[in-house]
Order: sequence, then C-alpha cells, then structure tokens
Amino acid sequence: MADETQIESKSAFNFEQCLKCSICTVYCPVSAVEPDYPGPKQSGPDNERYRLKGMEFFNESLKLCLNCKRCEVACPHDVKVGDIIQAARIRYSTHTPGLRDRMLANTDFVGTLAHNFAPLTNFALRLAPVKAVLHGVMGIDRHRTFPAYSFHTFEQWYRRHEAEQQRFGRFVTYFHGCYANYNYPQLAKDLVKIMNACGYGVHLLEKEKCCGVALIANGLSKQARRQGEVNMASMRKAVAKGEPVLTTSSTCTFTMRDEYSHLLGIDNGDVRDSLTLATRWLYRMVEDGQLKLAFRRDFKMKTAYHSACHMERLGWIPYSTGLLKMIPGLELVMLESQCCGIAGTYGFKKENYERSQKIGSGVFRQIEEVAPDCVSTDCETCKWQIEMSTGCGVKNPISIVAEALDVEETRRMNA
Amino acid sequence: MTFDSIIIGGGLAGLTCALTLAKAGQRTALVTAGQSTLHFHSGSIDLLGYDEQGRTVLHPLDAIPALGASHPYHKVADVGALAEEAAGLLASAGLPMDGTAARNHFRLTPMGVGKPTWLTLQGLVQSTEEQTLPWREVTFANIRGFLDIPTEFLVDNIRRMGTDVEVKHFTTPELEQARRSPSEMRATNVAKVLADETSLRRVVEAIDALGADGEVVLLPAVLGMADARTESSLRQLVERPVRFVATMPPSVPGVRLQSRLRQTYQQLGGMFCASDTVTGGCFEAGRLRYVTIGNMPDERLYADHFVLATGSFQSRGLMSNYHGVFEPVFGLDVDAAGDRRAWTAEYVYDAQPYMRFGVRTDERLLTCRGGARIDNLYAAGSVLSGHDALKLADGSGVDMLTALQVAHNILEK
Repeated sequence: MADETQIESKSAFNFEQCLKCSICTVYCPVSAVEPDYPGPKQSGPDNERYRLKGMEFFNESLKLCLNCKRCEVACPHDVKVGDIIQAARIRYSTHTPGLRDRMLANTDFVGTLAHNFAPLTNFALRLAPVKAVLHGVMGIDRHRTFPAYSFHTFEQWYRRHEAEQQRFGRFVTYFHGCYANYNYPQLAKDLVKIMNACGYGVHLLEKEKCCGVALIANGLSKQARRQGEVNMASMRKAVAKGEPVLTTSSTCTFTMRDEYSHLLGIDNGDVRDSLTLATRWLYRMVEDGQLKLAFRRDFKMKTAYHSACHMERLGWIPYSTGLLKMIPGLELVMLESQCCGIAGTYGFKKENYERSQKIGSGVFRQIEEVAPDCVSTDCETCKWQIEMSTGCGVKNPISIVAEALDVEETRRMNA
Repeated sequence: MTFDSIIIGGGLAGLTCALTLAKAGQRTALVTAGQSTLHFHSGSIDLLGYDEQGRTVLHPLDAIPALGASHPYHKVADVGALAEEAAGLLASAGLPMDGTAARNHFRLTPMGVGKPTWLTLQGLVQSTEEQTLPWREVTFANIRGFLDIPTEFLVDNIRRMGTDVEVKHFTTPELEQARRSPSEMRATNVAKVLADETSLRRVVEAIDALGADGEVVLLPAVLGMADARTESSLRQLVERPVRFVATMPPSVPGVRLQSRLRQTYQQLGGMFCASDTVTGGCFEAGRLRYVTIGNMPDERLYADHFVLATGSFQSRGLMSNYHGVFEPVFGLDVDAAGDRRAWTAEYVYDAQPYMRFGVRTDERLLTCRGGARIDNLYAAGSVLSGHDALKLADGSGVDMLTALQVAHNILEK
C-alpha cells in the first residue's frame, strides 16, 4: 500500500520532482542571451503549477525555447523540463502559424517543390533581392542561405539502384529524412556504400514522411502526429521482417523515439528499440564481432566533434565518437558540448537570428581555436549553422567513415 | 563496451576518482544522472571544520584520529598524503586553491559568517581568524537588482566582526538588459552576461567609478563558470584590490569546479555519460560483472572495477520510502535506523540521525549486498555512512579523500 501511494504521486513529466535547484537554468542557452525568456525552471515546472489552474497563465514567451533539452540533460532529478514546456505550447498556445512558419515546417513539401526546380531554386535563394523579399515579407533572415536543393532526390537515385540492393542476403531499412533526400543525397549514398561493403542491402520504408520535428516546433502538432503515424506503420513492417531501421540524423531519431510518445501521444513502443542511428548500429555490430570495418591506410583527417543537443539528450555520443575512433588515421577533438544556436527552423526566423548567433558563439570560437580539417556532427541543421558561421566544413560521422573505408577489404572481411 | 573502471556519479567524489584513474592510464566511463551538487558548492573544500563536540577545529590533521570509529577517514590510509594529492589534482585541473591541511582558514558564507575550511579557490574572501576579517574597512560593490546575496545579513555580520562596510551598487548596460528578467538576476546568469571582454570592461569602469573607500572591494562571485580567466583579468584591471564573496546557489565557483574537473577528465579520454542512470547490474560469484544504463538499451558495460559515488539523499544516492532507507542502484546494504521515528531529531538544527546513514563498506571501501561483500564494487563520497557532513564540515574532504583512496585501492590491485 505504501509503495503504491508513492508511485501514484508521480506527476506528468516528473514535474513534482523539481527541487527548484535552478541547475537547468545554468545550462539554458536561451536564458543566457534573452532576458524576455523566463528560463526553463520558470517556464517549465514552476509555471506548470499555474497552468494547471487555468490557461490564462500560459505565456507565449515559451516559443523562445529552442527545445534543445539541455535542461533535461542537466536536471539531477529527471524532470522532463523541455517536455513540460513543449507540451504546454501544444496544449495552450493560441498562436496560428503563418505562411513563413508553415513553409519552414513542411520540409518535405517544400523540398519536393524546390528540388524539381533545383538549379533555379538554388540560384534564386542566393540572390540578394530574393533574400530581401524572404527577409522583409516572409520573415526569414537575410543572413541565412537555404541549404542547396539537390536536382535528384535520394529516393530517385535509390529507385535506379534498387535492384542492386536486393541482391544481398541481409538487409537494413533506412529512414533517410528530408535532408538526405532533398538537400544532401551524398550522406544517404555514403550509408549505402558502408552497408553494402559490410554485406547488407539497404531497403527504404514503404512510406516515409518527414519526422515532424519542424512541425512540432512551429505549432503544427496535429500534422506531425498524422505523419508520425504513417512512419510508425511503415517501420512496423520493416521491424516485422527483422530489419533494424537506421537513420543518419540525430534529431529525426530523437523525435521519433521520444517526442512521438512524450508529446504527440503516438505509441511507438514496439518500434523504438529497432529505430537507431546508423553509427550506433555499426559500433555495436563491430563490438559484437558481427561486422568488421577496414580503413584506408592513407586516410588522414583532424576532425572536431560537435555534440548536437538532441544527440546529447539521446546519450549516444559515445557511439558516434567510438565509431570515429576506430579509424586509424583520424584525429578526434571533442568540442565542449554547447548549443550551436540554430535549433532547426528557429535560427532561420529573422526575429531569432541575432539570438541564434549569440547562442552559437561559444561553439564557433572553439572551432576557430581547434582549426580542424572538418567538424563532425550527427545533426544536419548544426551543419548549416556551423558552416555558415565558421566557414569550416561539417560532415556526418557516416560520411567520414565512408570516406575512410577500405571498401574492398571490408567486403572481403564480411563475405 | 568494456572498461577498466566504471564510476557511477558525477559529483566531486565521482570526478575525483574518475580523473585519478584516467590519469593512471585506465580506460574509464563515468555515468551521471544529470548535474551534481557541486552546483551548490561554496568554492571551498572542507577537510574537518568541527569536532564531534561542535568545537572549531584549527588543525584538522591532528583532530581526525579522534573522530568516531565509523568515520570514513579511518578507511583512508594516509590522510595527510591524500590531502596533498587532492590539492594537486585541483591545481592540475586549473583550480588553484589557497590553504593547507595543517591549519584551517575561514571562508565567508553569503550570510557573512566565517566557517573553517581547508582549501579555498583563489580570489574568494578568506581569513586566518574565525571572528575577524583581515581588513578595517571594505566596500561591498553589489550589482543592482542582484538576487543571490542577502546584503543586509552579509553587511551586519561583517560589521559584527569589527570590519566596517560601505555598500555601493553598480550596473552596466549589459546588466540592465539582463535585469529585464527580474527572476533571472542570479549568479550563474550574470556570469554568462559578463563572459565577454566588452561587458567585463564596463564592469571594471563601473567599479572604478564608485570611488570606493574600503581597503578591498568585495564583489559577488559571479565571474567565470568555465575557468578563472575573467576573475583574474577583473582583479588586474580594477584599481582597488578585489575579493569575491560566495553567493547563494547555483554558485559560479561550484559550476567552475564541476566543469574544470569534468573537462580535464574528458580530455584524458574518459567516457562521460552526462544524463544517464544505471538501470541494473549483473552479479556473479561476489563480483559485479557489468551494468546496464538507460540511454543505451541492450548495452552491457563491463569493467574490472566499479565505484558508486552517487551522493546522499539530495542526489538520490540514498532514498527512503515507508519501508526503510535504501540504496536505489543495486540495493546495497546500508547503515540506517530501521525505525522511521529514529531517522530525524525534532529540532531542525540538532544533529539529524539520517545524515549519518549511508552505504556500508569494509575497511577497503568495498560494498556488500545481502551481507556478502562485493569484491569489485567500491563506494566513495557522500553515499558512505558514518559521519554527519553538516555538523563536522567535512563533506567535500570525505568526497575527495575517499575517492582518491578508492582509486589507489583499485590501482594497487
């Protein structure tokens, strides 16, 4: 009886476990630069008590939260501070997203449009007058350049090479996400290269939708839920065939593993354990002795690893960096784990630009001090931010592994 | 994943142990459930401030042998030697401290009370005497709107020590901007605002413009969460000598201790799981073979040695329910009163029995479960039973010295 009483007193997102210690605020990248943001303790567990009384206590300043979850990483009492804030936005915000937010949020719809006219889109998006219109009319900051759209999507490339993939005896399923599909198919091709060398064919999901992270951030959680259900249905089929679902984006992975159930009420329990970053899967297969990777002897690179916020929250940095450490010619420098400031679509909005750059300044300074050949990170929006702000190239660990891989030797060892 | 040692807990004890083992060339992992109570730390490390009768201790090394038999210091082979090693470890992590284990000095609390201590971060107020400060008159230069120092208490208490205090307030454009959020005028937030050179230069100008009469200017300790650079450049730039007063938590010196130790450990190649919890362990033949952790489902973390440094009740290293006091990670044997009524004393300022509760260990700091010793699972720091850190002012000393002793026990094996 005594035990039961204590279990029942547990609150949503553990908010009653908050000791008011304020440690979360120490690690909030926003409250460091924005006095109009009341900080995670106030915005989260403190004001949740009031919000439970009535929605008039909800404050739109919560939209200043990046959803980086660094408050949750810092919390010694497992309070889901970031979830409390995002759930309050979903529940109480009366703000209707405008055209700009809808456009930023619908990464796959916009991606489909943009890639069809890729040369034109990429050309136009770099023009000063276009940027001025985007800035003035749309509210997309003029300092930002949209990531270039690829003329061919990864999916189109894959369809042409699908038959080759079927020739393998073992398979993984790949959730490529919007970025690898529309903007940077090379990342997806890098993964295919590694998997094929290891003796695995790559399948795609029967139906893949954007994970929805940008939809949640822009107040379109209903649409995010619909897309999430589509993804889950397809993933279930892959998992039923015994295939793991691999990803190359830490944010998509985090969203589908954790935000789906915590914020969108999607039941992902049967899929969650099979849904994993490719770096984690590879690391574990190598460690279990089920896979072998051989690397080129002439490969040399100095890379600085940037811990993306959601990667930090997943707790999987040891996997990506552990995989990189397997490469003999690689010098790996760990950057201090800080937010780069972009937070998906947040930094694209002109009202956030200055704040976004201030938040990231610590990361940029470190990169300049380390002066690596490239930065490595598991998140694509961090890549845009760091490339724009430092001029240093950024690569996903999977791309570095693919570059360093001795394909012939790897194939031979896994035959 | 396979390691030489896995340390559970990322506070002062866990970091001290992990750092020492990593320095010795061990492959280590540290798993910590969020940030630690170092965030509430004064910036001073206590060895032994009071004896068991409550009298101020001036010479801790002389007083330690007289402590009760249950005290964890009795499991430290050579307290003097490990105290020196601890000071060296802090210095090598970029945390230069003043003080010696031979004689305590006195730190100043945010309330203005002198407390005996062993090591104090350079720059913080310290005195060789308990009841007096080394100045006739000081200027307390406070930040306008700052929340983390109870100024009236501080000033009253300093005056009681026979030092006159002149209180001045200053602000800068950056601080005024931060003040738009009245609830966030806290020490760590101000530290972020004053992290860049321009903001710091404006603070220097504002302090110089105060026309302070005191022999020293006392400032709240709001500079430098990452390192001591901003603090020392301010001290060089301000005309008057400057000393810093510890603030209410989260404290900037505490965050600096935490981040310098953690960073030094990581630079040595130690794996650091910043927000993870041990969900279980596999025991075989009196040994812990591996642990599992929350964020890496299905992963087994093997090690030759394990160290439990999860802290006391506040850090959830110890927990209680209606049935009793327990150690939540492995269910280790604890020293604790069975009768709930014996946990607390009625008057809040009396010695509270629960302060002495903790994990039971043998003379080598090895733990036990169900009465049987576990040959490779050690405990260090506040999770240990046998002393009242509040009454003895020995908390951070027990953290560091038992952690070092555990590291030695592991390395000698």
